[in-house]
Amino acid sequence: MEASSDVSQPNGTILKLHGIDKTFGGTHALADVSFDLRGGEVHALVGENGAGKSTLIKVVTGAYFPDQGTIEVGGSEYQSLRPEQARNLGVSVVYQEFNILPELSVAENVFIGDQPRGRLNLIDMGARRKKTYELLERLGTQNSINPNELVKNLTVGEQQIVEISKALATNAHIIIMDEPSAVLPSRELERLFSVIRFLRADGHGIIYISHRLNEVFELADRVTVLKDGQLMATKNVAETNHSELVRLMVGRELTDMYPPSDNQPGDVLLEVSDLDIDGTVFGVTLHVREGEVLGLAGLGGSGRTTVCRALVGLADIKGGEVAYLGKPAPKTAGSASRVGLVLVPEDRKAYGLVLNQSMRFNLALPNLMEFVRRGVLRSRIEKQAVKRMVEDIQIKPPDPNILSDSLSGGNQQKVVIGKWLLTNPKLVIFDEPTRGIDVGAKAEIYQRIRELTYSGVGVIMASSELPELIGVSDRILVFFEGRVAGELERKDFSEEAIMRLATATEEIDVPVQGGVDL
Amino acid sequence: MAVTFDEASASVASSSSKLMAFVRKNGSIFLIYGLIILIAGTATIFSDTFRTPSNISNILRQSIILGLLAIGQSMVILTGGMDISIDMMARTVALVIATLFAMFNSDPGLILPLILLGVVVGVALGGVNGLLITRTHANPFIITFGVAFILRGVNLAISTTPIRGIPSEYLRIYDTKIGIIAVNVIVMAIIWFLVWLFTTRIRLGRALYAVGGSPRIARLSAIRVNRTLVWAYVLSGFFAALAGLFVLSRMGVGDPGTAEGMTFQSIVAVAVGGISLYGGRGSIVGTLGGVLLLTILSNVFNLMQVNIYYQQLLLGFVVLIAVAAYRSPRTVRSG
Repeated sequence: MEASSDVSQPNGTILKLHGIDKTFGGTHALADVSFDLRGGEVHALVGENGAGKSTLIKVVTGAYFPDQGTIEVGGSEYQSLRPEQARNLGVSVVYQEFNILPELSVAENVFIGDQPRGRLNLIDMGARRKKTYELLERLGTQNSINPNELVKNLTVGEQQIVEISKALATNAHIIIMDEPSAVLPSRELERLFSVIRFLRADGHGIIYISHRLNEVFELADRVTVLKDGQLMATKNVAETNHSELVRLMVGRELTDMYPPSDNQPGDVLLEVSDLDIDGTVFGVTLHVREGEVLGLAGLGGSGRTTVCRALVGLADIKGGEVAYLGKPAPKTAGSASRVGLVLVPEDRKAYGLVLNQSMRFNLALPNLMEFVRRGVLRSRIEKQAVKRMVEDIQIKPPDPNILSDSLSGGNQQKVVIGKWLLTNPKLVIFDEPTRGIDVGAKAEIYQRIRELTYSGVGVIMASSELPELIGVSDRILVFFEGRVAGELERKDFSEEAIMRLATATEEIDVPVQGGVDL
Repeated sequence: MAVTFDEASASVASSSSKLMAFVRKNGSIFLIYGLIILIAGTATIFSDTFRTPSNISNILRQSIILGLLAIGQSMVILTGGMDISIDMMARTVALVIATLFAMFNSDPGLILPLILLGVVVGVALGGVNGLLITRTHANPFIITFGVAFILRGVNLAISTTPIRGIPSEYLRIYDTKIGIIAVNVIVMAIIWFLVWLFTTRIRLGRALYAVGGSPRIARLSAIRVNRTLVWAYVLSGFFAALAGLFVLSRMGVGDPGTAEGMTFQSIVAVAVGGISLYGGRGSIVGTLGGVLLLTILSNVFNLMQVNIYYQQLLLGFVVLIAVAAYRSPRTVRSG
């Protein structure tokens, strides 16, 4: 109820973060970041992956305690918030993954935490329906969503509106949206924008996280740019433009982490033409030669990962042709690995390692046939091969019997890479090869990828880290919403060029007045 | 947070010696054999009968039926499944073979062909389990439970009274001894060794662990997941058949009560032996320990003339204590 008093004063500051500092191990996730949100504004938060956006959000929701700094909200100042405290102060997050129950109605979901009660303390279904209708009305969606409809019958966009209504039902007035457009088909975007404008007109403050700069310019009043945990700038949207934002988001030095690319590509290993994958990838054409690294860039959900998975038979191909060594593509991961086409997958814990087994077990797993003599696994052959690989890719500690679970992230990743290198592949697909691992291990993995190409192996590397793509690739394909938005040769590599294609920002070189109408 | 934790545990692991890693990895096996030594040691001190060679030999022979069933159950549980039908498969084999002996006037010449037939029946039943599970993707517990019910009906249809007419030569499977040791105990020891080799040194054995650890990762690692699962249930049927054939020799008649309650005991032996009921982890050496522990306990209780009801109660406690002691570091950490 206190919330409504805040809401009633538009343009007052309702949330103020001052000098927030947060360190994880050796990583400075946030360094002296300040941020404020006013009632009745949409404040966009942008930055590359790992820039600190989600850490900042988690400080606001109480998931993380900052090491330093203060949080001002609801008229008081806090060193840190607890999650239920943040909720009571009116903070609510709409995540990409919804917290709604598909088998219940809209009204039941909206009031799931606090059902309106009537006589005998029974749930008052009439009141619940009426209140839900009122909430939907405040969002301008009362005509498209029926409070009695089961949530599972709604579109993704409508479900998202149910999530937002749920936040309103708890009197939230600080609404954080984590890439809300990423889950929506483009035809539902307009309605989301309209809902957000209704919220703004109602006096709510909205923190809007997005990779898509067009949306920032269409929707936001102010924009804050984070990079590597640092606050780069907070600007009025009317006083900035695309190129300035992109420059603030990227623009960092390439170090000597990356080995030089000096080998000549050979014959074509893989040729993909007009690849269609069910509703996510459309008309993708690409090729990879022996001894070259093809980088795949693009934002999350742009189709990079789906293409990688489809090439080893893990996603259903709807149309187009894939020719590997002149033959049709293998249909399963098993048959792909037998012909030397392997995927080092994105999430090593879910797809890469049997965590409760030893390093040796995991390294040997796809290679068991190699160790069999007369039907029996020869542990000497297995141990030798495993030992060679452990030394080769410098896994630490170099003890093959250690549980995979107890290795650091970088060494787990090396085990996943090692198990596939032991199969003597001809084409290796890396999906996010260095996610969540330290700089030293990254450099070793880049070195290893480059060495692969010296022996004529072809490499596809999908990544969301631009410096890595630029440092390692020989060519880069940039994806945007399931299509190839463009291809860059090494001489044209720059973070700006990639971001421009990945965010479908065409006019970056042209100075834009006021940043509107892009 | 995650990063610092990983680094810390990695450095702990690297500083600890190989021996420590071995003990930690095989903690459940040390525990179970420690428990066996403790109980057997105590019984040796306090009971004159327990330590007699004939009683020891008896225990080993008593452990065979549970051992065969627990081996089959281990194969299935390693893949993350469970086979509820093993007692009924064993019973079906025993009753079918007994009926055939009776039908052909106890002809001793039929012993070998009928043993082979029994094995074929067990393998076929296991194959049915495996195919149903991989085709329907239903829970193995429910599928094998259903199959167990069908077999229970089949068995009742075959006979509700003991089937006589087993040739006396067949009973030698149970009786033949070299000195004081029964031949079947020696054969069983060889079977345990072969199964151990299978789980550690054969590709399919390794695949059982991979499938139980994570079917998704196994599939990505070029393991044929469905084929591995079918094999696990076929092996379970195979060992159930051996158990049924052995019971037939022990009882001398086709007993309609063959292997009653043994499914539960086999699961207990596997669990007490430290194989994770979630699959992918544990060792057949532990299962052997579990089988020996249960057999020794039952023997000691009998010698102490503990009432059968209290035996169940004490057994339950042993199971709970053993399983509680296995809370691995991983479980504690995530909890």
